[in-house]
Amino acid sequence: MKLKQTIGTSKITPYVFIFPFIASFLIFYLYPIISTFIMGFQLVYPGQVEFIGLENYRKLNNPEFKVALLNSFRYTIYTLLLLIPLPLVLSVWLNSGNRTINSIYRSILYVPTLISVVVAGTIMRLLFASSNRGIINTLAIALGAEPRQWLLGGPSQAMILLLILALWRWVGVNIIYFLSGLQAIPDELYEAANIDGASGFQKFWRITIPLVKNTTIFVTTISIFGGLAMFEESYILWSGTASPNNAGLTIVGYLYKKGFQEGEMGMTSAIGIVLLFIVFTLNTTFLKTFGFFESEGRQR
Amino acid sequence: MTIVKHRSVNTIIKHIVLVFLCLVYLLPLYSLLLAAFRPGRDLLRYGITLQTLIPTGMNFANIKGLYTIREGIYFTWFKNSLVLLVVQASLALFFSSFVAYGISVYHFKGKKTVTTLVIFLMLVPIQILILPLYKLMITISLMDTFWGVFLPMIVSPFAIFFFKQYIDGIPRDLIDAGRVDGLNEYAIFFRIVVPIMPPAFSAMAIFMSMQSWNNFLWPLIVLRSGNKFTLPIGLNTLLTPYNSAYDLLLIGALAATLPIIIVFIFFQRYFIAGLTSGGVKG
Amino acid sequence: MKRFLLLMVLITCMIGMVFAAGSKEQTAAPKEGTELTFWTFQDLHMDFYKTMAKLWNEQNPDRKIIFKPEVLPFQDMHTKLLVSLQAGTGAPDMVDIEIGKFPNFMKGDIQLASLNDVIDPVRDKFITARLDIYSKDGQNYGLPFHVGASVIFYNVEILKAAGVDPYAIKTWDDFLQMGKIVKAKTGKPMATVEVNGQWSFWPMIAQQGSDFVDADGNVILDNATNVKTLQYLKDLLNSGAAIAAPGGNHHAEEYYGFMNDGGAAAMWMPMWYMNRFTDYMPDLSKKILILPMPRWTADGKRSAGMGGTGTAVTKQAKDIQLAKDFLMFAKGSEEGNLRIWEDLGFDPPRWDVWDNPRMNAPNKFTNYYVNDDIFGMLLGIKDEINSVNVKDRLPAVIDRVSSSVMIQALQQQNKSPAEALKEGADLSR
Repeated sequence: MKLKQTIGTSKITPYVFIFPFIASFLIFYLYPIISTFIMGFQLVYPGQVEFIGLENYRKLNNPEFKVALLNSFRYTIYTLLLLIPLPLVLSVWLNSGNRTINSIYRSILYVPTLISVVVAGTIMRLLFASSNRGIINTLAIALGAEPRQWLLGGPSQAMILLLILALWRWVGVNIIYFLSGLQAIPDELYEAANIDGASGFQKFWRITIPLVKNTTIFVTTISIFGGLAMFEESYILWSGTASPNNAGLTIVGYLYKKGFQEGEMGMTSAIGIVLLFIVFTLNTTFLKTFGFFESEGRQR
Repeated sequence: MTIVKHRSVNTIIKHIVLVFLCLVYLLPLYSLLLAAFRPGRDLLRYGITLQTLIPTGMNFANIKGLYTIREGIYFTWFKNSLVLLVVQASLALFFSSFVAYGISVYHFKGKKTVTTLVIFLMLVPIQILILPLYKLMITISLMDTFWGVFLPMIVSPFAIFFFKQYIDGIPRDLIDAGRVDGLNEYAIFFRIVVPIMPPAFSAMAIFMSMQSWNNFLWPLIVLRSGNKFTLPIGLNTLLTPYNSAYDLLLIGALAATLPIIIVFIFFQRYFIAGLTSGGVKG
Repeated sequence: MKRFLLLMVLITCMIGMVFAAGSKEQTAAPKEGTELTFWTFQDLHMDFYKTMAKLWNEQNPDRKIIFKPEVLPFQDMHTKLLVSLQAGTGAPDMVDIEIGKFPNFMKGDIQLASLNDVIDPVRDKFITARLDIYSKDGQNYGLPFHVGASVIFYNVEILKAAGVDPYAIKTWDDFLQMGKIVKAKTGKPMATVEVNGQWSFWPMIAQQGSDFVDADGNVILDNATNVKTLQYLKDLLNSGAAIAAPGGNHHAEEYYGFMNDGGAAAMWMPMWYMNRFTDYMPDLSKKILILPMPRWTADGKRSAGMGGTGTAVTKQAKDIQLAKDFLMFAKGSEEGNLRIWEDLGFDPPRWDVWDNPRMNAPNKFTNYYVNDDIFGMLLGIKDEINSVNVKDRLPAVIDRVSSSVMIQALQQQNKSPAEALKEGADLSR
């Protein structure tokens, strides 16, 4: 009874509410990160741990890891260039006109999001099969192009496949995000613009873009970290094996390979720390630049 | 007059583009639907061909494979995925909304830090934590258990952020009224706030279910034995390099995909409404 | 409301269906014996062990086993094994580990059981080089399936159409010349080359006594022999006599389809590839001739022992001794070695069965291939089978070779063979 009262008092109540978060933060984020940090300086094999200083980090200075970094950054940038403007324009279209028809379009574009990456990747492999009879190759031949071994091409071909997959799977989500931003814009603004005789493009540029700024920041942030963390797509496309010339190797892919395929736990920890560092730096600068923190505090 | 004409031309272009885009987006699903009823041998050799896409001569024998493969293990996978989905999604909804309420309505020391931390963690992809989490799971002996799969996921920073935004929008008078009525703080949360949150809950429910249903990397690492696999992990094992059972893989993929699409179609109204009402207005 | 009801009905049906199937599996009558779990990445290996488990149970009624095999994707299986061994839980009793992955499991405290006690009684009957590749510090941790002699598979139908006599191809130079003829006469390539795999390149260098790593474990990927050999492959491709294997390697799904349709006239692989032909390319029955590989020089060797899969017992096994005894029975006994040939078409690692009459008896392989006496052909080259070194750096080298070096030098040709090999070697050192 007494305990109940203590918990019920307003001083402690907030902490009871946030306790699950704090606990999960300590157990599933903080502790693992600290232990990774320590392991980064060690040689770790089953039953054998040895302090080796910065050796793990020195070993990261290799072309393979650089390829992984480069691939991840390129993928992130391309997905930003595709997955921000395209959904924005589409969501503006879907925000006006016949509601029923729009909701049908919206649902169709959203459905791929629901599909597991395993399924999506497998369909993709089969569509881009290397036989001349594969549907994409059939299409290529019909258009007068050479049939290709899609999954074996160079880095740019691999990137195109990954981007197609990303486009298919993520356009729908971003449309929803933008739609929610658009629906918060009062109709009066557009009506006033209409009275002033603004063109569609002017309205888009002067009203829509500035007013979905926050949504754009949000989507950009999510896309950056989604892009940097990409791994499963390339894992499925090249069925778990190394992609030709490491065309599909990403940072997380390298981490997975070193840690779980080769059992180099120490080196993997070092990769994890590097990645954390990148994410940390990007996070802080990004959020600061766009004033995410301030707007959070100020709002409501 | 010209403006109207101009507009209708624009509208037509818009619809042409959208219809084309939708067709392209549906193609992979359509392929899956038809390829699932084709002999695996042909898929293996030629991939999805033009012939695959013509809806004739489908062979429904593949469905039987789902029951026979490794003594019906497909349904064990299905069951595992379903159990995980229910447990993970409901726990995540409960804990995340609970925490969000605390952050949203109270003023307390460290509030700013916690809020920042939530936003920050929301942007830390779980993939980069897999190694330390994996070590942790070994330490606390949760490898190859369902607990190991869902425990790290039940307090979701994204859901906390989402719910916080939603609760921020609830009039404070409502909460004060509860206090006047003599309800304690928890009763206010459960009896007053939770009942007005269904739109937010249903949006997150779909979001969480989708994540749990399709989760790949983490279960791939935690789960070891075949009878504990979830659908995506299990399906992936059908792709052995020497004998890929594409017919089973695709029919299995179809059977794994249809439920979530159907659930989405039923709930999509609430889903979109929920997401737009609270969440990411920013 | 209606929608909601409909949804509930749907969910109920789904759950019902799932649990109905689940309960069926539970009611299966429990069998007697010790459970023995086994992981592999090869269906055919599983079938072999299933047969042997049945045989074991007949001969050892007091030590029966309930054999529970599981087939997993190649990479996944090795990953899962590594993770489970590190975690100390979740590993199977017995497991197939591919040779290129084996050194990954030889780090730190080795989590596999030593097999010396069961091997020792018959150690002298084995080709010891094949045992050594799965050992460290004098302890054996895996039993081999085969010797893995590399051979060349000719499609005689295509060669006939081109008027080329396979027996006349003595050296790789001949092969290139004949290849050009085949291409000119039939429009089909003479051979396929792995550009996303190591199986075309590795046998060729091993034939000449070269390798990826030397006996001391140093990476020698970029030595002169290897550069010369890779250049030969490049010339072969550029002359049109060979093409890159569809799908990138000889185990790709597309590749089986391509070959089955008579896509190319020849390919070389270790002998364990025999069952891929019989099982995955049925239309080529009675069209494939197996011969020793062409030589590099007039007195060069015609084969090399390649690849393999070591079956190991993990320290997590419920009954380690039983697992070891069963493994020895399956892979180390005379009967087991004979069946390795009859069921899998592998050249068994125990030489004392090689002159057994059962090695010449008709089976599915003798029925499929053009050869009269496949094993006789193998006996003919048994002194020409060079072995390869399996050392710590091997997985890294194989990884580089299959993922980058071949692609760079052969497919994209943006690096010269010497450059590509040099870079691959430096990366894996």
